[in-house]
Amino acid sequence: MKRICNLLAAGAATVGLVGGHSAHAAGTLAGTLIQNTANATFSSGSSTSTIQSNTVTVKVDQLVGVAVTALTSTPVTIGTAPAVLIYQVTNTGNGADSFDLTGAPNVSSNQFNATVQTVAIDTNGNGVYDPGVDTVITNGAASQTLAADASIKVFVLAASPTTATDTQTSQVRLTATSVIGSGTPGTLFAGKGTAGVDAVVGASGGTANALANLIASLANVTLTKSALVADPYGGTNPVPGALVTYTIVAHVVGSGTAGSLTVTDAFPSGTTYQANSLTLGGTALTDAADSDAGTASATGITVALGSVAGGAADKTIAFKVKIN
Amino acid sequence: MRTFSRNVMTAMVVLAASPVLAMAAPGAVALDSSIKLDKAVTVNGQTTHEYVSPQKVVPGNHLLFVTQYRNTSDKPVDHFVVTNPVPSPVALESVGADNFEVSTDGGKTWGKLAQLTVAKPGVAPRAAQSSDVTTVRWVIPVIAPGASGTLQYHAVVR
Repeated sequence: MKRICNLLAAGAATVGLVGGHSAHAAGTLAGTLIQNTANATFSSGSSTSTIQSNTVTVKVDQLVGVAVTALTSTPVTIGTAPAVLIYQVTNTGNGADSFDLTGAPNVSSNQFNATVQTVAIDTNGNGVYDPGVDTVITNGAASQTLAADASIKVFVLAASPTTATDTQTSQVRLTATSVIGSGTPGTLFAGKGTAGVDAVVGASGGTANALANLIASLANVTLTKSALVADPYGGTNPVPGALVTYTIVAHVVGSGTAGSLTVTDAFPSGTTYQANSLTLGGTALTDAADSDAGTASATGITVALGSVAGGAADKTIAFKVKIN
Repeated sequence: MRTFSRNVMTAMVVLAASPVLAMAAPGAVALDSSIKLDKAVTVNGQTTHEYVSPQKVVPGNHLLFVTQYRNTSDKPVDHFVVTNPVPSPVALESVGADNFEVSTDGGKTWGKLAQLTVAKPGVAPRAAQSSDVTTVRWVIPVIAPGASGTLQYHAVVR
């Protein structure tokens, strides 16, 4: 008569264990058989006997679990280039499982919300996002299958909105949820575990998440323009023939860098640009488009300052026109 | 603290819901093994244990390993020694362990858990813990004709 599910009545069965047991943080591997047989010796009258009981077997089911930690502990700077956030996802269950990975940038305490551009698995395991090598997944899609205790690194590339200002902070959450099942601990997913064993949701609820920090690193540019008039009579009156020296100061502040900073200014109508009067930091620039930073056309000047870090020394541009 | 004594054999029979000794071993004594799952329920700080058929078993579950015996002959049986290896995916728990002898070396040496020490190479000997136990053993001096009994130990799934 059938006694209990999972019991195998056997004759002279082997004692002990089938299926291999190794020490795992997650516990005995799902599918492992726990087998028990009792042996007895006794005497009755003048004879001694040895007997063995049946072997009873119980199979270990799968306990589903996951843990997520943020590996980038100090805030990652985000500016004109996207930030790469790194998380570790670990299968804390006792059997193989895969996990849906979702990067969510809208955390309630954020001073700005980034946008998630890319979610990728660290396929070559080097802790660095290698485009073309590391596997990109759709945000919310599942990872590959992870064995019990195995972990992967996950990259989330986040882009800053144009509304962020320098040193504002933000967080992005990565959530990993077991594909086998999640919910209240103890929920049963019959037959859904590895090799068809039953799966039970463990203490983590089958889902976990971690927050990684961003800090906006932007630069702010102010241009200040001033004019100095020298008239032909030794005074400062803006009369025909007077020379006007315009000075433009580019001042960059912030923890970031202004990239490709280019200053342009148009000659005011009623004036004539004085050829080759353009200077940068007091050094003369040629009007022609050549290897130096400045050019002057019929209508105005252009000076390409390149990348200027916040807090760098001010850049001073000057040029002269004559009032017609 | 659990007090599931040997005398509650009738409860065990009810739970098994089957003839106790379906497989009669050759000779005078029939021996039957079973495993139960400890379903512990805590209400208002009071924990009750119900031993049920193991439908799903996961790491951390507490199990009860049960051996039942009956002298089916018309003569007394002497010096009945039952040896039960502890399966490696489970660890013996100390509750009730003073009811039997244990071995930490696969059955070479025996003693009460509280008296044993464990010596590993390069490490100073220390008191044996229940998780070190490899085998458990009961010695019953006499079983009268027709008499029966239940032996059990508690273990947790590693």
